[in-house]
Amino acid sequence: MLKKEQNDLLTQTGPGSPMGQLFRSYWIPALLSEQLPENDCPPVRVKLLSERLVAFRDSQGRYGLIDEFCAHRGVSLWFGRNEDCGIRCPYHGWKYDVTGQCVDVPSEPSESGFKDKIKLKAYPLIERGGVLWAYMGDPAGQPPLPAWEFATVPPAQSFMSRRYQESNWLQAMEGGIDSSHVSWLHRGDLNSDPLFKGARGNQYNLNDARPVFEVVESPGGLYIGARRNAEAGHYYWRITQWVMPSFTMIAPRGNHTVHGHFWIPIDDDNCWAWSFDYRPDREITPAERQAMKDGKGIHVQVDEHYRPLANKDNDYLIDRVAQKAGTTFSGVHGIGMQDASLQESMGPVVDRTKENLVSTDNGIIMARHRLLRAVKALKDKGIAPPGVTPEHQRVRSAAIVLPADQPFTEGAKEALVVRPDVAHASV
Amino acid sequence: MSSWAEARYRVQAPNSRPRTIKVIALDAGGTEAIRQLADGGWTNATFFTVGKPGELKTLDGTPSTVEQEVHGADLVVMVAAADGRAHLAHEIGQVCSDRRVATTALIVGAIDAPEEALARTLAQLRPWSLMLVLASDETFIADMMAALRA
Repeated sequence: MLKKEQNDLLTQTGPGSPMGQLFRSYWIPALLSEQLPENDCPPVRVKLLSERLVAFRDSQGRYGLIDEFCAHRGVSLWFGRNEDCGIRCPYHGWKYDVTGQCVDVPSEPSESGFKDKIKLKAYPLIERGGVLWAYMGDPAGQPPLPAWEFATVPPAQSFMSRRYQESNWLQAMEGGIDSSHVSWLHRGDLNSDPLFKGARGNQYNLNDARPVFEVVESPGGLYIGARRNAEAGHYYWRITQWVMPSFTMIAPRGNHTVHGHFWIPIDDDNCWAWSFDYRPDREITPAERQAMKDGKGIHVQVDEHYRPLANKDNDYLIDRVAQKAGTTFSGVHGIGMQDASLQESMGPVVDRTKENLVSTDNGIIMARHRLLRAVKALKDKGIAPPGVTPEHQRVRSAAIVLPADQPFTEGAKEALVVRPDVAHASV
Repeated sequence: MSSWAEARYRVQAPNSRPRTIKVIALDAGGTEAIRQLADGGWTNATFFTVGKPGELKTLDGTPSTVEQEVHGADLVVMVAAADGRAHLAHEIGQVCSDRRVATTALIVGAIDAPEEALARTLAQLRPWSLMLVLASDETFIADMMAALRA
């Protein structure tokens, strides 16, 4: 349970809000690189942290992320002409470069200097790992570039997708660290999905259906360990990473690709669910890549606007026959949509004053605790939050068997950080 | 009507009754942590320290027993420091296990603790905890209690 004011604090991310200020401390995923595929291609509307923006790629390949609306009469620059190193409003021809600077006002004499007085708000937008990342905070506090491992391996070793989720970011993110739902909601998929099945570790899951959880603070966020009985005197650990504010990496299975998410607020009622898969030690096979494109694993099939094909307007294509047969526990097909459908069913911003958490929800409780602490430290003392620095981002999840009395943070110490070209610790 | 619009019509009646939570400090570090916590105005939680085997004491010294306190509890929270002195966890955990009462263990000051001492504490707590939390600061316990409607 959270008090209403705490719930509001964590779920509101617009300009000037404390949680919005926290999000503005990070480089956040804004677009897939494929959405701006070439110089002078059509611009793209972007709404992030309750701000309406337009992104474009100019004639020299520079990326721009600027206020969506022309300073003249408020026309959306999404209608603009992207040409000659700038985007030109089609209404009266005002033109802006990637910094938001107005470079042409055709109705005014060029020597008047009027254009120099016009500048739209602009944010840095950079490409890394197939993703365009935005930094929407104070320029003086711009952090180092994103160092997430999936974004630094060669393109052939990673896959990224995104989908529109019609709920606040927090309830989506909390699903990512709520390890106890996996044995229920996704039980039908662990042994059938091509990106999960066949791992030796799955047998430990089957042999011990009641995992015990340990939540440990990490430098950047949390380690969430789920342990099951393994061979005598040993536990099988699945260790998920959560890095503030909204990155998760799920424990791997066998030789499969490793996956995780970002949840990024669009506004207070909607968010982008970003889903990545990668391998640090090998290319993704054509079969794996096709499965990801087909919506297997944590990915989802979407329309041209990245809205899932199964969505609330069609009741997520719920299959009551499959639900009854147990092939899918909720009746919704696909791991990603199983999560999204239930999280959206809570309403746009779930009322956490009504919830009844239990002890297995301590991962969620600790994440909220850390977020609230970081928001306060940033607001009161200007302290940069965890997760900003590259060392907090160079982390890994792990699946590993350890002696029963060993802290998993010690036994899996090497496995929980990036080791270039070395595969994840996985069972 | 979409779930988005439906959310406004969620029934406003209470959906749960108060639960009973017993918080038991297993060692000196745990006692220090719960003494600070106990002033928080909790309505559904009571706080204890351990004494002789099978015995507990409230923070004002009133004697009780493990059996008596676990009986009727919805959750038992065990709090310990990371110094390997949580051996009474087995006694409390056994009673909880017999009575099917959920347990959570909290290790305070765990992040900077020596590995050997932390390992001893884990060995003492793991068999008897359905959830184990290693927190760097004691303020987490209050947030956890509030989240659990203590």
